[in-house]
Amino acid sequence: MFKVFAFLKRNSELLTHDEYRAGHVGFHCGNSRRLKDIRGYSVNIWANAPLAPRLGTLHDEIVRSEPPEFLDLWDGFPEVWFDSHRSWIEAGTPEPTRAMAGGLQVDPDWTLGDGPYLFDPLPDRPTEFRSCHLHMEEHIVVPVERPEHKLTKLMLFFRRNPVLDEAAFVQGVLNHYAPLTGRLADLYGCTLNFLDTDQEAAFRNYYPADAWAFSPEGYAMRRAFCALWDGAIELHVDSVEAFVLARSAPDLNLQLCAAERHLFAANWYVEVDENMIVMPNRGTAPSFYYR
Amino acid sequence: MLKVFGFVRRHPDLTHDEYRAAHVGYHNSYGRRLNNIRGYVLNVRANAPIGKTLGLLADQITRNESPGFDDLWDGWGQLLFDSLETYLSAKTPAHDKAGPRGLEDDARVAAVGGDGPWLYAGSPFQFMVVEHVALAVRRPERKLFKLTQFATQQSGLPAELFRSYVSGRYAARLAQLPGLRGLVMNFRTPLDVMSKFFEPEAQGFTASGIAEREHFYGSWDCMTELWFDRAKQFVDGREHTPLSAHLDTLESELFASVCYREVDETVVVLPNRAPAPEYYFR
Repeated sequence: MFKVFAFLKRNSELLTHDEYRAGHVGFHCGNSRRLKDIRGYSVNIWANAPLAPRLGTLHDEIVRSEPPEFLDLWDGFPEVWFDSHRSWIEAGTPEPTRAMAGGLQVDPDWTLGDGPYLFDPLPDRPTEFRSCHLHMEEHIVVPVERPEHKLTKLMLFFRRNPVLDEAAFVQGVLNHYAPLTGRLADLYGCTLNFLDTDQEAAFRNYYPADAWAFSPEGYAMRRAFCALWDGAIELHVDSVEAFVLARSAPDLNLQLCAAERHLFAANWYVEVDENMIVMPNRGTAPSFYYR
Repeated sequence: MLKVFGFVRRHPDLTHDEYRAAHVGYHNSYGRRLNNIRGYVLNVRANAPIGKTLGLLADQITRNESPGFDDLWDGWGQLLFDSLETYLSAKTPAHDKAGPRGLEDDARVAAVGGDGPWLYAGSPFQFMVVEHVALAVRRPERKLFKLTQFATQQSGLPAELFRSYVSGRYAARLAQLPGLRGLVMNFRTPLDVMSKFFEPEAQGFTASGIAEREHFYGSWDCMTELWFDRAKQFVDGREHTPLSAHLDTLESELFASVCYREVDETVVVLPNRAPAPEYYFR
């Protein structure tokens, strides 16, 4: 599937972090969940409570070289799944989803026009906003299963140890570190994501060539953000406390710490609140409208 | 929690698949924003008839199905709220739209999009259920096979005993079906959840609307949700096995009628049965 993370900072002139939550998960997703042929969609917003105190003494063992003020760069990131790059770039194609006089019609009120009020605005481009849409190479370590209660979701961001070349790094994470992580007790899911080295993969043909994303500032922002990390692991657990307990298993923790020192120049965690907008369906798409 | 079902028939201008698109698309996009909603699942009747999906088993396990049952509905929504009060106050403007002055109210949420007259034929049949979660569902990232069983209680069996037996020994047997991912029994209650939720002039409050609803209610007392990866798992577990003999016996004792339908489930708002966070969350 074609998976995109879109890191977004709120319009901080207009919205608090909690107001941004409501605007993104509420009105905005009421429209974006109808993107054509979308196969899955969640919105992840960093949690209000700081994570470090809740990790306790484990924090200093499992967090290394966290970029300062990382959370100032974004408030949330949607993740979306499409069947292909083609279906991703055609997702804005209107399709009939509204019952009106005369039957099923294209919704004339469908809009993503709230974007500049919701996200980081661009004064000289009133219809646009800053964003960092990134194509992710996904590997399922433990398939996610969601119960009917809110899970805790931890994002482990990591940056390659520069002594390793790209291939050795990918192989080490994929074949050694990720399976080890998947052994953490009581996981509801574990997904490994590598940043596509083509940082324009999600923007190209999705936005017009004269969009901010292709401006010098757009390129520079993306380069700077992507320099901070090379991938992320999504962990679904019952609670931070459950994660601390699982990660504290002595043998496993030793192996994970050793692997982190070998593979990563930096590794740190962010707790996010996952809002499920369209439950991902990795099976074949039904022949009828389905979300 | 308060669990409310709303069974709906599609507007005659829509085909079943057009109804799906409109309900799952536009309508659910507003329904998911109802204030303080804690869960919202939409079930649309599958296109394939149950006899095709379950094969010969369908006839073996169906008894006294109400004639014209499928003419009364195309789908139903399942809403979860913390209380009757939060449910009744859900249809108010939602403060969830970013605009030039910051976060603003969206009045259209109060009317759930306002598309009801073109989406439905008549008012929803809306009622509260008391649920028994026999096996809490955990949904994987793929479409599951969801089967629903509609049953009426055996005559002479008091309602309290019916609920007790179905959620007790029947649920315990049913939970043994191999491959079962979730099992929830829902018992319809007479609590009025329509009067303060729909406009007084709604079709559901007319004499014909009340009669239609009562007719529909006569076709079942308990609706059971079962989730599997594939239909074959249910067929294999329910057909010619020691377990199936136990289930046949219990169903004869407990049910005056029983029938099954496959539905396509849309998780509009993933139910969150834990305490609500202090911020906007879906």
